[in-house]
Amino acid sequence: MMKYSRYQAEIKVLEEKLPSNIYRFMDMNTAKPYLVMAARTNRGNIYTLKIELDVFPDNIPKVFVTKMLYDCNLNPLDTPSSSMHTLNSENGCTQICHYGTSSWTNRVSLYKVYIKCRLWLEMYEAHLSTGAPIGYYLKHQS
Amino acid sequence: MIVYLSQEELDAFASGEAESQCGYAYEWEGEDVVHLHTQPLAHAFGRVSKCFFSKAAPIVSFLNDVLWCVFVGGDGPQVFVKTDNELQRVDSQMIPSKENLYSRSKGILEVGILEKKHVAVIGLGSFGSQIAIELAKAGVGEFSLVDFDRVELHNLARHTCFIKDLGRLKTDAIEESILGKNPYTKIHKYPLDISKNNQRLEEIVCCADLVICATDNNPSRFALSQALVDFQKVGIFGRAFTRAEGGDVFIYHPGQACYSCLVGNIGVVHEEITDEVSARQTGIIPAYVSAQDADAMVQVGLSADIEPICNMMIKLALVELSRGEASGISCLEDELVYNYYLWANRRERKFSNWHILPGAGPMPTIMRWYGANISRRDDCAVCSKDEILLDTGDEFEELLQSF
Ligand SMILES: [Zn+2]
Repeated sequence: MMKYSRYQAEIKVLEEKLPSNIYRFMDMNTAKPYLVMAARTNRGNIYTLKIELDVFPDNIPKVFVTKMLYDCNLNPLDTPSSSMHTLNSENGCTQICHYGTSSWTNRVSLYKVYIKCRLWLEMYEAHLSTGAPIGYYLKHQS
Repeated sequence: MIVYLSQEELDAFASGEAESQCGYAYEWEGEDVVHLHTQPLAHAFGRVSKCFFSKAAPIVSFLNDVLWCVFVGGDGPQVFVKTDNELQRVDSQMIPSKENLYSRSKGILEVGILEKKHVAVIGLGSFGSQIAIELAKAGVGEFSLVDFDRVELHNLARHTCFIKDLGRLKTDAIEESILGKNPYTKIHKYPLDISKNNQRLEEIVCCADLVICATDNNPSRFALSQALVDFQKVGIFGRAFTRAEGGDVFIYHPGQACYSCLVGNIGVVHEEITDEVSARQTGIIPAYVSAQDADAMVQVGLSADIEPICNMMIKLALVELSRGEASGISCLEDELVYNYYLWANRRERKFSNWHILPGAGPMPTIMRWYGANISRRDDCAVCSKDEILLDTGDEFEELLQSF
């Protein structure tokens, strides 16, 4: 669970980097706090990300796109895939594999998690237009 | 026949009101060894039969189905065994009471000091289990044992547990091992996942004099590191690298570099993966890795390769627990002055460019400890007194523009 000082540090980074109306911390005084963020891709599409904070920053936070995404063959992205950088979906939402455990440290900010998920979304959209798997654009997320 | 009695139990019986009581004989069958107890043991061994404890002289006809009899009164206890309806006197020996049990190590270790110490051992795998038992042997009086795992086949080769322990919670199995060495030890068991029980973790760390951090993944170490910093407790971390080609030990002292400072300074290292199930749970083996690939990632080192790392953690723990008190290991306070220790078992991977042992001289080589002082990071996300500087991933911002 995030300490208050860490929470403040995260907010400071987000305030510096992003407009305040695209993110909101939710349920912070509960066992299941999360962060909701809007992500707009370079192609202009908007996605909503849910970043779960119950194990953050000690461990990698789960990040979901708040709907099910489909690959270029219209298969749902709902299972672990190394080529598409996804994990098991939950509640009908695609989960992004945005970080490898072996490289995670507790200094990684939520902003960096957000940027890596933004990157994933760009690669996802590139995949839809070219058919190349996400892994083609990024070897393994580090 | 070799017969053992418990001094503590006999004293309690002698000072109690009961004139007699039925106890238990635990006999190592075929070995002519028996232990006689007034109270049932938590985990029995050998063949169990009844034993009659009495303050009056025993009468053979009263002892219908009883084989053993202990007469407590007068000049110490007398043990009788019933053979052919006659009582035959046999010699006995005592399991000493609390104050005498570990008197033999007096002088080297101050048992009186260690007895008052409370050590929390987080993670009871091949490291934690050995360390807990060794510290109990040294006379540490109180333990908090934390692990949600059970003893499984793949654990056995390097673990203190036995085949008979398969399926048991590690907290229960290690408790038994500790009590087997020192029945007067106070033990608190927490079969829980600390990464999901932050509040409980804080309570455990808060109550301990020293914390042994023997988990096998960084998320739990980060959580521990935060708790150690928050409660200003000394913590000892240890781990093995891939295939136990080597390992390292880190000790946190309040006010000095914390485990997160260590990771910030030396980076993330490739660690030994000993178990696929737990590695998948912690994400060390990602969910998309196939069973076959995962099998190749699990590479367990030799028990003999993790032994030196455990040993260093135990030594550091004993020095820490007796710090400032006169004891036979006080001199080590002047030697074990570093907060980081590195050990190589084989010249592989990380250590492939180290020198071969013969003729290595002062050059780094295998099977020697190297100490270093890891300095504190001003920007540490855990222990920094100043503003926390987070990793904001600027390099990915640039990448984003390329799409
Ligand atoms: Zn630190």
